Amino acid sequence: MQRIVIPGEKLEDKSLRIEGTIIENGKTYSTLMSSYDDEKKILIPLEGLWYPISGDTIIGRIQEDKFNVYIVDLQAPYRGLIFSKDSNEEFVAGDIIEATVKEMDKTKTVILGRPRRLTGGKLLYVKPSKIPRILGRGNNMIKQLTAKTGTRVTVGMNGIIWIKDGKVDLTTEAINMIQEEAHTNGLTNRVMSLLEMGV
Amino acid sequence: MSSSQEKPQLIVDGKRLDGRAFEELRPISIKTNVIRNAAGSAYIEWGTNKILAAVYGPTEALPKHTADPERAVIKCRYMMAPFSSLEDHGRTGPNRRAIEISKVTKEVFENVVLLENFPGTEINIYVEVLQSDGGTRAAGVTAAAVAMASSGIPMSDVPFGVSIGKIGDTLVVDLNKIEDNYSDADMPMVIGPKQGNLLLLQMDGNLTKEEVTSAISLAKKAGEVISKLQSDALKEPYLKTLEKYKNEAPSQQGNKE
Repeated sequence: MQRIVIPGEKLEDKSLRIEGTIIENGKTYSTLMSSYDDEKKILIPLEGLWYPISGDTIIGRIQEDKFNVYIVDLQAPYRGLIFSKDSNEEFVAGDIIEATVKEMDKTKTVILGRPRRLTGGKLLYVKPSKIPRILGRGNNMIKQLTAKTGTRVTVGMNGIIWIKDGKVDLTTEAINMIQEEAHTNGLTNRVMSLLEMGV
Repeated sequence: MSSSQEKPQLIVDGKRLDGRAFEELRPISIKTNVIRNAAGSAYIEWGTNKILAAVYGPTEALPKHTADPERAVIKCRYMMAPFSSLEDHGRTGPNRRAIEISKVTKEVFENVVLLENFPGTEINIYVEVLQSDGGTRAAGVTAAAVAMASSGIPMSDVPFGVSIGKIGDTLVVDLNKIEDNYSDADMPMVIGPKQGNLLLLQMDGNLTKEEVTSAISLAKKAGEVISKLQSDALKEPYLKTLEKYKNEAPSQQGNKE
């Protein structure tokens, strides 16, 4: 059975290693607003921040152009860096880019690689904790979304989504709906019927 | 301190001035997500206290010399609005009292937020008292804790605050402004409910050792009510949407359902 837990709420009387928890005196406590499944022992954060993992796709804005490095604003506690040698294009401050996380250095700066400029389109800011739900299992949700609306969508794990072409407003509406109702039953069906109506 | 002749009678017929019993809290209501641009926010009405709390961050710590390379730093600003009480709060900007309360609030959150997850960053807490009637530091921490939890910053506990005072020989819970001014002792406390850790303890007046011990246990008892209210306020928006679609079957293609 699923239940909503607050930080500091006890999940288990024994110590279990689950992400987003702490263990004190052999007991497991949540550290986030989350939804916990007692049987499957799965903790799904309802609120949370983005922790960079190498391989994550991100969307950011070039903040500063130094002589061998670009500094990227990621809307996160960390700054992104792109070394000029890793980039095929040249950027100027203000450009919106898509890139992949290569690594985190010890000062918690995110080193990015494979940057690509995104021109035109619309940016949508969502909670980073809702990104897995927006993507869906095996990226199913976002695949169906783009297929139905004919948009091109890039999802940044840092909570920024870029939408271009096709029915941008309908896609925005659907993503906002996923964001607000991420923890409810039958969401995929509702999103699909919203898209059917819009189409 | 005022002389005993001016001192009003705080307990009449076994009841306090506003009709409460000795261990009774004022009515409390908490609401989350009231400020759109904040990472997390909360609004609390505690009796006639009205307090807004907002949490921003974590962001890069500025000025840079304040940053700690091993953990996040917390910066807190508690402020009373110039129109918040009958007393003079006419000049804007922090006064001695506001600086002190900002400091103790900051220290409460340094003990519950998992700071080592965000080295080199700062987390800003703003507590704005719009209307005050005694016990605002406890109410402010209570609201700020809810704001912090709703922001998604990992924390080990959601602390609550409450003040215990002494009128004559009686210990009373949750003093209001008049009781605060004329009571024999006033002890605001902030407690982490998970293991009952004392995170803030200040005292004005005189209490014996036994009275302090029983005051702490009174605070913990009152805290059960406050913690429940905090938890309900945090869960309410999710439970509302969950309840709305309760009877729908899980989607076939959906994840996590």
